Amino acid sequence: MSVCTMESSCMTGQEQRLADGRGQSSPRERTNRALNVMRAQRPRLDIERAVLFTESMRETEQYPLVLRWGKAVRHILENIPVVIQDGEILVGTIGGPGRISPLYPELRCGWFPKGMPETQKKDAYAVRSEDIATFMEKVEPYWRGKTAHERYLALMPKATRDIIYGDDDYGATGLMQDNSNINSTLNWSGIFDKIINRGVLALKKEAEDKLGEIEANPANGDYDKIPFLQAVIECYEGMLTYAARYAAELMTLAAAEKDPVRKQELERMAEICTRVPAHPARDFWEAMQAHWFAQIAYRAEQQISGGVALHRFDQYMNPLYVKDLKEGKITEDFALELLEAMWLKIAQVVPFSATNAGNYWEGYAHFENCTIGGVDRYGRDATNEMTYLILRSKKEFPLHYPEVSLRVHAGTPHELLHAAAELVKEGCGFPKFFNDETIITQLMCNGVPLAHARDYSAAGCTEIRMPNIDTYLSLGGNINLAAALEMALNDGWAHFGSRYEKLLTPSIARKDIKSFDDVMSNLRECVDFYVDHFMKRMSALELTNKQCLAAPFMSSQSDICMENLTDIHQCVMPGSNQHDTGNVNFNGFGTCAEALASIKKLVFEDNILSLDELLEAVNNDFENNEPLRQLMLNVPKYGNNDAWADAIARDLDQMIGELVHDRQSVFGEKYLKYVPVTSHVGLGNKTWATANGRHKHTFLSEGISPTQGADVDGPLATMMSIANSTSRVYPNSCARLLNLKLNPQVVAGEKGTQDLINLIRNFVDLKLWHVQIGIYNKDVLLKAREKPEDYKNLIVRVAGYSAYFVELSPSMQGEIIARTEHEMV
Amino acid sequence: MGKLTGRIFNIQTFSVHDGPGVRDTIFMKGCPLRCTWCSNPESQRHGLQLGWREKKCVGCGVCLKTCEHGALGRAENGAIVRAPEKCAKCLACVKRCYAKAMHVYGEDVTVDELYGRIRNKPQAWRVDGGVTVSGGEPLMQADFVGELLAKFRRYGIHTAIETTLCASFNKVAKVAAHCSLIYADMKLADPVAHKRHTGVDNSLIKANFQRLKKEFPEVQLIARTPVIPGVNDNEAELGAIADFLKTVPGLDDYELLPFHGFAQPKYHQLGIDYQFKDMPNMDKESVAKTNALLRERIGLV
Repeated sequence: MSVCTMESSCMTGQEQRLADGRGQSSPRERTNRALNVMRAQRPRLDIERAVLFTESMRETEQYPLVLRWGKAVRHILENIPVVIQDGEILVGTIGGPGRISPLYPELRCGWFPKGMPETQKKDAYAVRSEDIATFMEKVEPYWRGKTAHERYLALMPKATRDIIYGDDDYGATGLMQDNSNINSTLNWSGIFDKIINRGVLALKKEAEDKLGEIEANPANGDYDKIPFLQAVIECYEGMLTYAARYAAELMTLAAAEKDPVRKQELERMAEICTRVPAHPARDFWEAMQAHWFAQIAYRAEQQISGGVALHRFDQYMNPLYVKDLKEGKITEDFALELLEAMWLKIAQVVPFSATNAGNYWEGYAHFENCTIGGVDRYGRDATNEMTYLILRSKKEFPLHYPEVSLRVHAGTPHELLHAAAELVKEGCGFPKFFNDETIITQLMCNGVPLAHARDYSAAGCTEIRMPNIDTYLSLGGNINLAAALEMALNDGWAHFGSRYEKLLTPSIARKDIKSFDDVMSNLRECVDFYVDHFMKRMSALELTNKQCLAAPFMSSQSDICMENLTDIHQCVMPGSNQHDTGNVNFNGFGTCAEALASIKKLVFEDNILSLDELLEAVNNDFENNEPLRQLMLNVPKYGNNDAWADAIARDLDQMIGELVHDRQSVFGEKYLKYVPVTSHVGLGNKTWATANGRHKHTFLSEGISPTQGADVDGPLATMMSIANSTSRVYPNSCARLLNLKLNPQVVAGEKGTQDLINLIRNFVDLKLWHVQIGIYNKDVLLKAREKPEDYKNLIVRVAGYSAYFVELSPSMQGEIIARTEHEMV
Repeated sequence: MGKLTGRIFNIQTFSVHDGPGVRDTIFMKGCPLRCTWCSNPESQRHGLQLGWREKKCVGCGVCLKTCEHGALGRAENGAIVRAPEKCAKCLACVKRCYAKAMHVYGEDVTVDELYGRIRNKPQAWRVDGGVTVSGGEPLMQADFVGELLAKFRRYGIHTAIETTLCASFNKVAKVAAHCSLIYADMKLADPVAHKRHTGVDNSLIKANFQRLKKEFPEVQLIARTPVIPGVNDNEAELGAIADFLKTVPGLDDYELLPFHGFAQPKYHQLGIDYQFKDMPNMDKESVAKTNALLRERIGLV
């Protein structure tokens, strides 16, 4: 609820919480104690997983990779310390207590000798000197020459490598931004219903039966599947031991516990850990514990970019919850406490990025998505009790993990949108909205079977996965459209940080550019140049990952992998969805569309400037030429539902769509996406000035959004512009990230709630892909920048995730402040 | 049809406080009243007016070089000073200004042009919103506004106006025939005080209030009073207004609008004095309480 008085103008629920000192606290005291412990800690680099993984890998070099991985997962789960923290009702960690970052040396171990001591000097993570010493002794030497990143660098053409990395192989932001090997897979949604409803013993038996069948019939050609099945069984064995170790420790704790209430609770927890994940869960508490055990296995196995998404949580968790409610076995309050316990567990595992790149996924970004709502496999509305409970949980306890991704469609109930709008008004950016009407259609256009298309879930920022039919997704990167435009206009020369280089020779020399079509023709060549290099790095990465990575546990939960008895990293297999095998991301779409509008208007339509005069101003970063910069700033802009400006943006989108469509990598065709995370800040900081009046070395526009502050005609106009500028020339474009920022006064009261509901209905009607709505008072953000100590609980929407404002870099804070705030009019 | 020309000074999209839903609000230029507190001072005169937006100005001085009439000068502090009596309204300075700091209030558009600009944004209508014509005084350009609103109504779009009702009933009728909702101001009940603070007598306004719903029973009529410190923010004056409104046939609702000083920068842009300079905004909650009591007094509960 928002409160309005004249002096304070309008405060969001979050701002009210900050003002009265409640911060993120929950109505449940035990949750708050755990929250306070967590908030007092910096994430600590935890080497347990790395040490155990390396120990096992060192001993198994004779086996096939997938089996080695299975043995390593088992070794980790059997030996990692059992840690039960005060007052916990869900147990299990993948390292020590508290807020931790487990390490994954198989990816970029080469970075650690230099990177670990440097990280120790900075504030963001806690690093113990004895851990560095142990890591350097027991982990680092083994991985020399064996990591995925070294294979990747070796497989990539030199020119591509130069463009991405320049002279820093462990950076990530060259002329293109590249996320390779910082994580092992991009955007994975876990599958949990099999562990919860069937149990590990039944799944293990199924694998053993298959294995027995193949071993008994060596002539039938499946003999090569044996290591895969053995690896799956190893993972299951590890999970069973892990749970048994927790059950034993819980019994010991229960025996020593003086408080009779807690004693009973510990005994019940011991019973739960004896029951799950081995057997099917019988009630909601058991299901939650089984769920977390599965998440532990995912995290032991791999570092997944975006964390382990929770798939359609309300769909598979609702039956046991409703059963418990009916039988009087659970109260809503305890169900909420269990949810809060899981949210805290998720928040405590913080990814660590082994990269020199600054501005990389700021604010400890991880994006575990909890998808709710949408339609079911038959196209009916899928809303249930759990859908509402999740929204309520985020309202009562606005922790920034997990993400809540609400799928909306034409038939989404009004009551659900009402609850969602009220949560949006809290001002933490939850939930984000995914549009079934667009996403399901797009998937079907690409040949996905209808039932699978309807069962998609959010994963990552604004991307989606169908975990039973999709396979491995290589990490993406970002192509810098502003740099491509600079090259198009300057005979192929581009600035990059302190460097200035000629990268190609566009067909039309700068002096011969006579029309706007000439500009677009050169731009096409320059974007193509980047797409070409992008596909080369993509192919190198896909080959690398196929050769260097495996994930038998993840594969064991996926229908398509189990049908083929093939590890998920082999990617292309019969029956799998072979379209979305990687992201071709573009950065600075708004920046580029607006700069093109400036050039078209000022040089070729109104003849106010010559191209030389315009470029001279841009190339001097508008030094002593503020009036011309103003002229460029005031050209009609993309984002205001201006037909002329939007047509330029649409041409740009179509050009990009065609160029991506025309190329393939080893795993096949790629989807065009506009998902920057925070790389638009990092890339922008290295990119020269642009003809939309943007100064050099400042952030680019974000996702598909117009330049921060350029859309001045209200959120409906912004949404219309995005709809108008989407070319839809091929069904190869998805994941367009849109951030809206509203002033709390716009959505005050019940009328504000209704207007917000209508805004979301419009989003559905306009067939946009994704929208997230941040609601803040600008002065609160400004105060938080000045006095971070008073605002350490302020959560803001960054990209496809929310983070603590004070944990972002100054330039990212500036970018969020600069976003257009649609005010009361 | 559609070729009539009107003079507007702004179109506001995503208006959420000028009628139901989300609306596009069109502001007409020119008003018969001269309320001292006017929150849109640029709306009062029908003639084009030059505004200088200090915050946008980069101080390049191109406007000074452009003006051939000696209507622009620079003060010691760098501010652009205007001499409206010398200004030929050629708008050369506006066209040349790089930063859009020099601005002209007033733009002539035909009904078709204006309709085209708004219909470009159909999403607002889909969210139960519509179009509101405000001002200035819409009734001063009654033919234009009537034709414009008729065009929206033909497609079932909700239409509203915000008016002083200070016009002949002939003009009221031309517009009211195409309105779903009329917000009409009753600023002061006492004719002498009304004349003193707004420049006009209120007898015509009162007569229109009495007659409106008799002739247009389908229109929703909501009376409004801006509560202005030192003008009408006392029980006697507000009570008198309520007693008058009690006699208005078919009145649907009554709203008090608490004073705010958001217009101050606009007075500065236009280079005119503002009597309510630095006056604090009024407390919304206490005004809402008074509003409830007055509704009761009028018999609206």
